[in-house]
Amino acid sequence: MARVYNWQLGRQMSYWYPESRPQRQFAAVFDTNKCIACQTCTLACKTTWTSGVGQEYMLWNNVETKPYGFYPLGWDLKLLDMLEGQKWSEREYEGQKINHYDGSTIFESAPAGERVLGWRPEDQDYSYPNVGEDDCAGQVDGGASFSMEHMAWFFYLARICNHCTYPACLSSCPRGSIYKRPEDGIVLVDQGRCRGYQECVKACPYKKVFFNPMTGTSEKCIACFPKIESGLQPQCFVNCIGKIRLAGWISTPDKARPDNPIDYLVHIRKIALPLFPQFGLEPNVYYIPPVHVPQSFTRQMFGPGVAEAVSAYRNAANDPDLAGLLSLFGSTEMMVPRWKRQGEQVVGMNEGGEILRVPLTEPVHIRPAYDRLYQISRTNCP
Amino acid sequence: MRIRYLLPWLLLLFVAGLAGCRSAVQITAEVVAVPAAGIPERPDDSAWNSAPEHAAKLLLQDLVEPRLMQASTAEVRVRAITSGQEIAFRLEWMDATKNDLPGPAHFMDACAVQIPVVIDANAPDPQMGQQGKPVEIAFWRADWQASVDGRPDSIKEIYPNASIDHYPFEARSLEKGSVEQREMAARYAPARALGNRRAGPREAPVEDMVAEGPGTLAPAASATSKGRGVKTANGWSVVIVRRLPAGFSPGVRTQTAFAVWEGSHNEVGARKMRTGWIPLLMRGQE
Ligand code: SF4
Ligand code: SF4
Repeated sequence: MARVYNWQLGRQMSYWYPESRPQRQFAAVFDTNKCIACQTCTLACKTTWTSGVGQEYMLWNNVETKPYGFYPLGWDLKLLDMLEGQKWSEREYEGQKINHYDGSTIFESAPAGERVLGWRPEDQDYSYPNVGEDDCAGQVDGGASFSMEHMAWFFYLARICNHCTYPACLSSCPRGSIYKRPEDGIVLVDQGRCRGYQECVKACPYKKVFFNPMTGTSEKCIACFPKIESGLQPQCFVNCIGKIRLAGWISTPDKARPDNPIDYLVHIRKIALPLFPQFGLEPNVYYIPPVHVPQSFTRQMFGPGVAEAVSAYRNAANDPDLAGLLSLFGSTEMMVPRWKRQGEQVVGMNEGGEILRVPLTEPVHIRPAYDRLYQISRTNCP
Repeated sequence: MRIRYLLPWLLLLFVAGLAGCRSAVQITAEVVAVPAAGIPERPDDSAWNSAPEHAAKLLLQDLVEPRLMQASTAEVRVRAITSGQEIAFRLEWMDATKNDLPGPAHFMDACAVQIPVVIDANAPDPQMGQQGKPVEIAFWRADWQASVDGRPDSIKEIYPNASIDHYPFEARSLEKGSVEQREMAARYAPARALGNRRAGPREAPVEDMVAEGPGTLAPAASATSKGRGVKTANGWSVVIVRRLPAGFSPGVRTQTAFAVWEGSHNEVGARKMRTGWIPLLMRGQE
């Protein structure tokens, strides 16, 4: 095992291969507060990539209701159970306060004979993709009222492959059939080389590699790389009804640029957090945590930055830069590697210059219930 | 002193004698390929009775990660017959379960025969060879056998209750069996589209491969091996037929090694029971 630096853990950690970051890293921010679990993303992916024989059960993108939704069954709980003591502490690093993970990662906890601590879902575990859907944590009794945080709650968690900086899938493959593209950090299974050992299925803590029983190989999310190569965002991003997603490129914290939308949200404003950073993969899909969910839950899921992220997000209405950048989500099919705010407008740019302009506040049109011009009522219940 | 040297031999004779009481099987300390006019391709062909048997003790693959930590199959009994152009091995081992249905967390019963590419007293590393000293591997798998034996290439064979609305290649606009239709099907089966030989549907249950160390397994330039495996009451009986190793002739010794995967024990790839090198001798014409 090599020693590599994982900035999400604020420390070095052990990994099967030495640190080798791509020229640029594909990344995304998902705003959990806006997801309505319509599953349009799931179908956009399904119809684009996994309509073949042997791919029936595969959901490279899925949306589950937390706390009781899982695909596959119990994917996170099982590993959290196996991974003991996930403690964080605050440390000082070069004059800055950083969160330091004191526990051990799935690489550091690998049992004898294994490269990674993992478990293998069985076919039944994939049989309930909508388990726990819209199920609430807690009961709503008579006289209950809502305040923040909600006493009864659930939220939707949309998931794709995290195109991790330290992929467990890649490190577990004894054949080296999985690779991380140097040009964009996208993690792919070489379908010509894979022999279907399913080591990656066992190793990926997010369970985002799927075994195809008809071709006998393992398959996974490809981040719609043909679209990325043409400067476009993936299918699940551009089809998202809730406009919860933004794709882009992430820098390491020391190279963060305020005009890079992902850097701004992750590194500068710190409102978007990795999913289970304690696993140690440096996953590259970042989540704006749900504001109404008890933080004892979200802290375990998104790490120690939750409180800060939630309060910054809740203040977005008074924060034109943040509100502005959030309104770029779902506004264009193109990748938006740069942005700026100009007064009441937010501008998205790429290498070729400006690509779109979005108002900070949408104009409001009030349509009266009775239309005098056509002398007709516009609503059923005037 | 002398008696100490003699003891193992006496013991061997005694054990061989015991075995002899049960059947007429000749037990050999190495794998002896017996020349014959033809190759018996069926595991139950009586021609196999003419070949001596070597009982190879299986060891854990515990040198490279992922390792097998708990032993399963204890031994594989091997016989070999050669026609002068081809060599056939019959591998038999105990296995209570038949594992030939692929799926997530389903693993297949399988076995393999490994032989160095070059006959050399200084053999390559027994675990998949080493750089500059390649080995050839002929690999048999139970699910491939099932599909060669006629199991259709359909998800319904694995999950009989599966209900599928529609596959794009079944669109009405595509004529059944047409080039366009097959192209569309391949588009959604990337491993097949790329010609990955293990991605089925297969014509032979055996795959030819070469390796120069763990993790380097690659398809051989030509796929010529064949075979046939049958589930018996207690285990598997599998014949693997491959071309004769270059330079292997009567009186010549090379090496061979075997591996067995027990599907019900989640054995796959590097997680396997294997032997070290065992001398492989071609008996002179009798
Ligand atoms: S999420 Fe899983 S499949 Fe995706 S790169 Fe990370 S380890 Fe690999
Ligand atoms: S399309 Fe968007 S809003 Fe709908 S489920 Fe997917 S992520 Fe959520």
